[in-house]
Amino acid sequence: MSRFYYYLILVNMVSNIIASVPVILLYFHKEGAISSMILSVVVGTIIITVYTRFFNNFPGMTLPELLQKTTAKWFYNPFIFLLGILWFIAGMITLITFSFLLIRYLTPETPITQISLVLTISVIFGCLMKTNRVLYTIEIILILTFPLIFYIYLAAYSSKNLRWDFVKDAVLYFNQLPSFYAFSASFFLFLGVANMFIFNRFFTIKQKFGLKQIVFIMVTSTFALSTTYFIPIGFNGFEHIKDFIYPWISTSDSIRMKYFIIERVLFIFLLFYLGIAFLSILIHWHVSIEFFKFVFHLEKIKWKGVKIGIFLPLPFFIGISTYFVKRLDEYQLVRLSGIFYNSLSILFPLMIILFLFIKRRMKYAKNNEQN
Amino acid sequence: MSSQEMLRWINEQFKGTNQLTEKTLDYENKYIVLFYVKSMIDKALLQKIIIKPFFEMANEHQLRSYLLALPQFQKVESKEQLLFEITNGYTLVVIQDDLFLFDLKLSKNDQVNTTTVETTIHGSQLALSDNLLTNINVIRSTYHEPSLVTEFFTKGGANKQKVAMIYDKEKVNKDVLNIIRKRLQSVDKQVISATTQLNNFLNNKRFSLFPQMIMTERPDRIIYNIAGGKVILLEDGNPQSLAAPVVFFDFMTTMEDNYHTLLVSIFLKTLRYVGLFISLLLPGLYVGVTSYSPEVFRTELALTVAGSRIGVPFSSFVEVLFMLFFMELLLEASIRLPKVVSATATTVGGLILGTAVTEASLSSNIMVIIVSAVAISTFVIPVNEMAFSIRIVRFLLLVIASLFGLAGLALGLFVLIMYLVSISSFGEPYLRFYNFQKQKERTEEHI
Repeated sequence: MSRFYYYLILVNMVSNIIASVPVILLYFHKEGAISSMILSVVVGTIIITVYTRFFNNFPGMTLPELLQKTTAKWFYNPFIFLLGILWFIAGMITLITFSFLLIRYLTPETPITQISLVLTISVIFGCLMKTNRVLYTIEIILILTFPLIFYIYLAAYSSKNLRWDFVKDAVLYFNQLPSFYAFSASFFLFLGVANMFIFNRFFTIKQKFGLKQIVFIMVTSTFALSTTYFIPIGFNGFEHIKDFIYPWISTSDSIRMKYFIIERVLFIFLLFYLGIAFLSILIHWHVSIEFFKFVFHLEKIKWKGVKIGIFLPLPFFIGISTYFVKRLDEYQLVRLSGIFYNSLSILFPLMIILFLFIKRRMKYAKNNEQN
Repeated sequence: MSSQEMLRWINEQFKGTNQLTEKTLDYENKYIVLFYVKSMIDKALLQKIIIKPFFEMANEHQLRSYLLALPQFQKVESKEQLLFEITNGYTLVVIQDDLFLFDLKLSKNDQVNTTTVETTIHGSQLALSDNLLTNINVIRSTYHEPSLVTEFFTKGGANKQKVAMIYDKEKVNKDVLNIIRKRLQSVDKQVISATTQLNNFLNNKRFSLFPQMIMTERPDRIIYNIAGGKVILLEDGNPQSLAAPVVFFDFMTTMEDNYHTLLVSIFLKTLRYVGLFISLLLPGLYVGVTSYSPEVFRTELALTVAGSRIGVPFSSFVEVLFMLFFMELLLEASIRLPKVVSATATTVGGLILGTAVTEASLSSNIMVIIVSAVAISTFVIPVNEMAFSIRIVRFLLLVIASLFGLAGLALGLFVLIMYLVSISSFGEPYLRFYNFQKQKERTEEHI
């Protein structure tokens, strides 16, 4: 596969730490978190394989284009609109979470509206870029931030304060039945592949996607997921881990760099995860705007000869996310993300049925063309 | 149009000026008339290859064949061309009713300069000259491919300078070539006196922060760019050339990188990129850390910074802005001043930016170090044009950091990267990573 494909998947896997995934997982630490994680690795890998194989069949085609060709308008328009809203919410959740993080740990005096506005405005114009430029941005920012994020993982694993006893303690609960909440939270790590709905436009050449790639993704995701879950437990203990609001922040604040200019890893964590959050919002909102473009034909809207159509969603994006940043608190945010993850874990496996339908129709269309 | 009419028209054009010289040679049954602009031509050459043979030849027929055989000979195609070439230093010879043009132009500027802007230790020390034909000669004599194409344009409504576009027709990116040619043809300006002006005229944008073409004076760089499929623009009377399209990384490389051993050049490149980030981020970082989140640094360092700021009456933003502003003034002054005076500027500037400012408690000691570090690291950026852009971006990042703290600074950097990715130079993305193992990826522009 092209390296850009892995970036899409990787960003979702890495960015889960700053979303509500660890909170939800750790909340169910005695009620089946581990078994849900194992289940989600299996289901997630299957989903990734099916999605990738499906889009590989139609190089360069986006999902809305495929739907346009194969489904009726009454289904197509509402469905794409729904997807656009889902992607908007996905970006918004990252945005709100990170605004909360910044106001709690980095700039407590700045008003929360200001923080979220800065984040929104810096991302929003990037969402209007062409798809290939979005991917190039992702690559560069990932390459800039990833070494240090990797360093944080390394520092966490090699730290003396990481008590493996706690981890072993946690593993003992693997025999609990999976919980739906925990499953859908960890399933979210695998949904980076869904960005292919739009980003498939970039992959115009048929890619190779075989066992090697699947195993690679499975190993990486298992590593990411277990890091998300076990590292906070190793640092903070097993018993009361579910009371943490930001388990990963507390964890990264337990790591020290003795000989560096910056001693507390927390700040490196925040500043570099800001990059990942930036990318995550960028990807999600780019996909969302592209969906809205298909539904409302935004390119065609003109005012005095200037194409203002593509700018139309921006005020809504900014307004709605600012409203929710002010409205929500941490508890509600976790609830909202939980519900959001749940709905995704129902919707996305069901999407496979749609794929089968599209594939059949496309084959039929192709046969018709040949005759 | 007969030649008599043409001559009359030419004479009319020059009427009232004493520019055009008309000289009639009449000896034994031979009769020719010469027209030229005296200040433009090489008189010794005229005497040697036209006047002297005239008196030696047996008859007019032999003279005519002789003149036609000269390498300086050029056919007359239209009266406009005739006028243009005469003002350009050609000599018009009239034999009976036939008009012949001879290139006897005197060039005082065809000496090749030594490099002054892009100096290197390794590699050639010679740059281009001010003369277009000499420059093309320099390029051709180091690039021996028959596929090298030179196209000429005349640009500038008033000064009608010759602009040459040079490329390798087998390697060049055809789309880029078409865009450049189209835009070059639509340039409509009265005076174009420097190649670098084209940088602004060709990019179709009124406000552009980053250069869309790279300026170079080094023939080796030109050759390297031609071989890489780029288009080179040269203008007569200019020792600089432009290459397009460019990517950001072009501005961070020097030709020397290819001449050093691999490890040395990797080291130098790393140095350069670190310098780039220092010069962009350090002022903002200082403001963000001192005013917003002093807890980011380890305790000892935070205390040192705070201690150094004791007695400074400004907020950190004003302090940084004050020092940076003086540094920029000093930089600008030392470029513009005549060489005789510039020593004074550096001395005075050194006093301001040095210990005096800290003794007067207008700035902290650490700030002085930061400003000097920023200044030095700006100079590390090898291509001058990019250094200018970076100076502006640095101020923007400083303002963002002052308004929104460290998170703002990080976001500003990401936005800068995103902006660089989103702009394009003649259709090519300005900033992106290439995977050179995949040949396809380099040529294929995705949607």
